[in-house]
Amino acid sequence: ASLPFLKMPFVALTKKTVSTKYRPFYLQLPSFPFLNYCVPKPYSPFEVDKKYSSGQKQTQSTQRNKINSDKDCGMPAQFPQKDKKKRGYCECCGKKYEDLQTHLESERHRNFAQSTQYKVVDDIISKLVYEFVAYKDNDTGKMKRTKCST
Amino acid sequence: TAGIKKDIEKLYEAVPQLVNVFKIKEKIGEGTFSSVYLATAQLQTGCEEKMALKHLIPTSHPLRIAAELQCLTVAGGQDNVMGVKYCFRKNDHVVIVMPYLEHESFLDILNSLSFEEVREYMFNLFKALRRIHHFGIVHRDVKPSNFLYNRQLKKYALVDFGLAQGTPDTKIELLKTAHSEDQQGSCLQTNPITALGNGVSVSVTAPKQIAQQSASKAADRRSCSLSKVQMKQGREGGKEDSLHHSVQRSVFGERNFNVYSSTYQENSSTKLIKQSKMIDVSSRKLVTKKKIIATKTVSNGAARKAASDCPLNLPCDCYATDRVCSVCLSRRQQVAPRAGTPGFRAPEVLTKCPTQTTAIDMWSAGIILLSLLSGRYPFFKASDDLTALAQIMTVRGSRETIQAARTFGKSVVCTQVVPTQNLRTLCEKLRGTNSSSKRSQGEGPSRSENTTALPVAADKPCAPETLGKQIQHLQSFQEGDGALEMKATDMKGWDLVPDEAYDLLDKLLDLNPATRITAKEALLHPFFKDIRF
Repeated sequence: ASLPFLKMPFVALTKKTVSTKYRPFYLQLPSFPFLNYCVPKPYSPFEVDKKYSSGQKQTQSTQRNKINSDKDCGMPAQFPQKDKKKRGYCECCGKKYEDLQTHLESERHRNFAQSTQYKVVDDIISKLVYEFVAYKDNDTGKMKRTKCST
Repeated sequence: TAGIKKDIEKLYEAVPQLVNVFKIKEKIGEGTFSSVYLATAQLQTGCEEKMALKHLIPTSHPLRIAAELQCLTVAGGQDNVMGVKYCFRKNDHVVIVMPYLEHESFLDILNSLSFEEVREYMFNLFKALRRIHHFGIVHRDVKPSNFLYNRQLKKYALVDFGLAQGTPDTKIELLKTAHSEDQQGSCLQTNPITALGNGVSVSVTAPKQIAQQSASKAADRRSCSLSKVQMKQGREGGKEDSLHHSVQRSVFGERNFNVYSSTYQENSSTKLIKQSKMIDVSSRKLVTKKKIIATKTVSNGAARKAASDCPLNLPCDCYATDRVCSVCLSRRQQVAPRAGTPGFRAPEVLTKCPTQTTAIDMWSAGIILLSLLSGRYPFFKASDDLTALAQIMTVRGSRETIQAARTFGKSVVCTQVVPTQNLRTLCEKLRGTNSSSKRSQGEGPSRSENTTALPVAADKPCAPETLGKQIQHLQSFQEGDGALEMKATDMKGWDLVPDEAYDLLDKLLDLNPATRITAKEALLHPFFKDIRF
């Protein structure tokens, strides 16, 4: 049973060659983008900043994906400012982390960090020419040649 | 600031080899995947030189790090491609040392560049692109903040191979195995003006929202060029001022649930709780080709469950129509690389074309030229791929975009018909300079001029330049002989932009990657005839 889109401009994509293979992805816009020549330089003609916006586009698009949805997951209008915690994905451990520092200190990551996995990096480093001279060490006044990579 | 001082201390601590070799002065760039510092070093030749130290995030896979290094060592160091001086490692901390090139902020100089400088800038960009493409490197993140430009010295450097991928015949050994894939860094909009259906929920009862990528969030791509621009408030293709919620985008554009931890509410169903554990945070995966195939069928959590619950590949009647149904929405999403910066992504990237070539960099170069000719940066400002595509349509035409997409196997449906813009007219209107040169008709791609079927705001002459020009004319009456010369210098060549400029722009913004101009061809384009060095 197909469900018609709401009556508004949209763009949709489907995989042509394998029309049954992938999920289409689509977009509905309250209004289609347009070139606004009155936005002052150097701003984008698509700038929707309140200062330049010619039309109010603050519509919360809850019409999105109403299909199949038993309840709207309610995107709040306001999110808290980003916390200092840096989350992300660790390529070494193949897992997400909520806090970078905590993850880097985890046993799993420490083990990886000290592993031989970095040989591929060291191999390239070994071909580079080291051309630095150590600055005078203020404490001893001696010239130190700093050893490079471990 | 104190924060930066602390960062510098921590860097010395993490990589002690730096201690007596570099005087780290300041932090000059920060991205999601690296921080860049300015330092001085004493060389064996006796002179002290400025260096850029790029400290990679310790979560980077060694293969990715090695691939980036290899791009720098093999392709870098000439033809305006950044090279590498040295590299330091201690455990998972890697610092790449590069010569420092002091450079302008693109935004600051955009509207003061002479037309001749624009020509030189583009010529030098193509030199860099020709070089990396020759080695089979697809940069994937070509944009002004990754192309350093020193106006006084006329020096240029293409930087940041953190997102680079190899062509099938790449000469960069490590790009054969390592693939930086679509990664991380989505962002929820505070005030979405779009409803994006990418990744519509895969289970009938799941919440429906998916993470949108942030508009022009260079910082959430892996880019940290040596530029300061990213530290500005988000106009430099950097952090988007209005968007700050890094919500994770899953690596392959799959399983995107727009469920942000803070959106979690007490009364939510268990399903919601489950999903809020799959919060998108900035993430990226390093995949080998082998893995890519595997990943296509892998998803996690609810998505995986749904995928196994819903039979895949069932035909339905929605194809190429403006409908979706539970059958087509239950299919998995196509996977394709899409790392890069939103406003610079080629149509084939935006539509998830699985085969992407060096042509995507040429599109990005076209977007840079579009900025230079129109005086607008960033030119496109979209919060997600399909909005970006819609914006491209408003410049290049909806029918044309749909047609081109068909050539690379994508069916695009668009309810709005928008015409192609004449590139000269578009750029001159946006720049506020009206060419006094005779336009050769029939040049370029255009058929219609600004006949937008859309509610375009009344065209107020909001161009101070126009006024300036009139004043110049007045002066020329008073000043006689020197006037012509003066007018020319005042306009900096912008009153005489040749058709070749727009012809090249048209060829760079070719919607079809197969026919899009290459870097090698671009250097031979009439736009660059008798270029002075």
